[in-house]
Amino acid sequence: MPTEPSAERGPWSLALRRFLRNRLALAFLGLFVLIVVFVMAAPLWANHVADTGPNEEHTVEQITVNGEKKDVVTVEGKPIGPQWFGAGGKFFLGADSRLGRDEMVRLMYGGRTSLQIGITAALIATILAVVLALLAGYFRGWVDGLIARTLDVIWSLPVFLIGLSLGIALAVGGLKLGPLEISSGSNWNPIFVISIFTVPYIARPIRGQVLALSEKEFVEAAVAQGAGPLRVMFSEILPNLASTIIVFFTLMIANSMLFEAGLSFLGAGVQPPNSSWGTMITVGVELLNIQPLLAILPGLMIMLTVLSLNIVGDALRDALDPRGKARMDAALEFEAHGGVTAGAQQGAVV
Amino acid sequence: MKKLGAVIAVLVLAALATFGLASCGGGDDTTGGSGGGKQGGTLNGTYASFPDYMDPAISYTAEGWTAMADVYIPLLTYKHANGEEGSEVIPGLAEELPKISNGGKTYTLKLRPGLKYSDGTPVKASDFPFAVERMIQLNSGGSPFYLTIEGAEKFAETKQGPIPGIKANDKTGEIVINLEGPRGTFTNELGLMFVAPLPQDTPIEDLSANPPPGTGPYMITNSKPGKSWDYERNPYWAKANGKAMPDLPEGVVDSAKMTVIRNPQSQVDDIEQGTYDWMQNPPPSSRYAEVKEKFEGTQFRVEPTISTYYFWMNTQEPPFDDVKVRQAVNYAVDSKALERIYAGQIAGTQQILPPGMPGYEQFELYPHDMDKAEELMKEANPSDTDITVWTDTESPNNEAGEYFNEVLKELGFNTKLKILNADNYFTVIGNATTPELDAGWSDWFQDYPHPNDFFQPLLAGESILPTNNGNFAKFDNPAINKKITKLGEEQLGPDQEAAYKELDEEVMKEAPWAPYGTRTLSTFVSDAIDLESVIFNPTFGHYLSSFEFK
Repeated sequence: MPTEPSAERGPWSLALRRFLRNRLALAFLGLFVLIVVFVMAAPLWANHVADTGPNEEHTVEQITVNGEKKDVVTVEGKPIGPQWFGAGGKFFLGADSRLGRDEMVRLMYGGRTSLQIGITAALIATILAVVLALLAGYFRGWVDGLIARTLDVIWSLPVFLIGLSLGIALAVGGLKLGPLEISSGSNWNPIFVISIFTVPYIARPIRGQVLALSEKEFVEAAVAQGAGPLRVMFSEILPNLASTIIVFFTLMIANSMLFEAGLSFLGAGVQPPNSSWGTMITVGVELLNIQPLLAILPGLMIMLTVLSLNIVGDALRDALDPRGKARMDAALEFEAHGGVTAGAQQGAVV
Repeated sequence: MKKLGAVIAVLVLAALATFGLASCGGGDDTTGGSGGGKQGGTLNGTYASFPDYMDPAISYTAEGWTAMADVYIPLLTYKHANGEEGSEVIPGLAEELPKISNGGKTYTLKLRPGLKYSDGTPVKASDFPFAVERMIQLNSGGSPFYLTIEGAEKFAETKQGPIPGIKANDKTGEIVINLEGPRGTFTNELGLMFVAPLPQDTPIEDLSANPPPGTGPYMITNSKPGKSWDYERNPYWAKANGKAMPDLPEGVVDSAKMTVIRNPQSQVDDIEQGTYDWMQNPPPSSRYAEVKEKFEGTQFRVEPTISTYYFWMNTQEPPFDDVKVRQAVNYAVDSKALERIYAGQIAGTQQILPPGMPGYEQFELYPHDMDKAEELMKEANPSDTDITVWTDTESPNNEAGEYFNEVLKELGFNTKLKILNADNYFTVIGNATTPELDAGWSDWFQDYPHPNDFFQPLLAGESILPTNNGNFAKFDNPAINKKITKLGEEQLGPDQEAAYKELDEEVMKEAPWAPYGTRTLSTFVSDAIDLESVIFNPTFGHYLSSFEFK
């Protein structure tokens, strides 16, 4: 007996249906999954095919390619180019530099680092942003003023330049902030820098939504039933922000990966000898005229990953909240108007 | 009509002359030829990093010395010439080479009359003791050279002057320097710009952002640390100093602008396109072969140097306080790998003294042998294996540092690699308060052609300084200190050369360093510059005064 789908399916199920109808998003989700599988397979490739670690140097070694001996790095300092399967998978994409490290292995391990940093930084930034937005939007008054202005200050800073300076300082001296201690060279340094500077990008629009939601009837009802601020914020308002948070989180992974690549390219992110796609571009640029693939490949990986995350993020937004764009615009307008008068009008839109 | 025609003809000629002059490379003020090239113009040069200091008293890098060689003239100086000829000490601000008396302990010089600094202040004999005191007060890395002056050691401790061992008479211009004991290298050391006279109102602080006035043919203007600096002609060179020091060239270009371009690839492109006229550092390893092949003889020249590239190990802290650990590192470092990392711009060597230096005789105590290295590590069994490895960002030194880091990992150390900006690398690792100075990369180019220059500032206990330290290994072996001091007192001869050869081996048995090569550098100029005219001095590198447009 046919049933009326919308009557039986919940909002998440509907969102999934809408997402699955977006073929472009599905294709790019597939691409992202492939990239994740590629980087997760790094130890397998390193141990069973390339027979080398990501930082192992082979400067003076020779390999046999189709029965012929070849220097990994020539006496003139030129690293070997892609050998594909000519050496049984060793130096599949050639050597990364005059240090003679396996480019394929470093590309895979570098991808793990880039993704780890991207996801961790986005996660930290999202959690911090959501907590700050809930506090600011729910309590309003001086709490909102303090948080909103702090975010404004961070937003108004030349983020990349300050991130770069901070990144260099942390890369050399590490960080000691009370109980928090990060040694120099740790990947937590770029994670810290990226997450701090991306908080406002998530917190500001979410704060606008919290301001609007906190005037809704269900919130008033919860307060009338004696619910405390924490319960209202985390049990009533937060679930209504889920779709926005998921979308932002996805987009922030891409953003953080780009930030990390920029920092690493300029020496303020992942520190040698560890690789990330950003550091690999730095190394590759120096050899651009003799081995252009060394810069192009990690750049291509960053581009594909960021593109796929952006397309998936956009599709998620469309699927989770078809009116999201209108709501987001309204939330920003609400915030721009001081978050009171327009917010009351906004309640009807949401 | 005839008059109008004449006016037009004059205008056309003027326009042609203007265009003709404007098209002369980077030159913007050519006023007629002198010698083979054109007089005047502005030289646009690039450095890959800003000098450590733009202050003659404290700069102790090749970049700094090249940048200031034609600005600050000491009492003695070095001949403006390539190769061995450029190692000859000649009178600078002093009238002639010093009279050495009292068993090699007293040096008497006389200041040339009528000299002036670039701000017009007259040069006085008493400016010399002021410069020595200022250098010591600033804890300059060059101060160990001059601590044998009577009372200098006490001055270094108390910072209270004057130094009794220097007597200067402003009326006669006579300068008498009394040493605690004879010192065979002192004439060479008087030719270093650490002790170039400066006006006595010069502040006792690092003046990199506002370099003090000098006596050379050029003066530094508009110094922006980290970015750029400019040169203009010293107005008092033509009026006074040039006439007084006819052996020193007045320079051909009228001005120069030096810009820090940290990407050596861009530097090469800029030279090829003529955007810049000269790069101080060699082309990056990845472009070296290409540049050499395309431009050798026309715009490019290989310059041999007397230098040692090495990895240092802190001999005063575990794990490198154990000689077996240091020897293990020496066995593990493979100079063949480093030759490739430097793209053939380094010739492998495993000793302190480089080829070309008196006293050099090749030996190889530690042929590359990982098994032997691991065996020594097993015997030493160091308890502390957590170490920090230091290097700078300049390629391929950064890769050499990464290589060293990996070698140490292979030997079982838990390493942390720190790569610092080349602008302040030596300042940071030369500061005793910097934590975790365990091991790292360094190089050394001769200050002057005397083997003592590779031992005293780098490996003598007295050279361990709180700031601007050059003895990164903190090597302080009493028996070796004694030999360094004794040999330093003697004038160089065949016996001393043989003794330095022994000392070289003796130090390497203690293995405070893992030396890996001696470097070739290069001159690379744009098509507008006359390559033949450019002088590469073994001590000061390229002289600004030698550049001229074709």
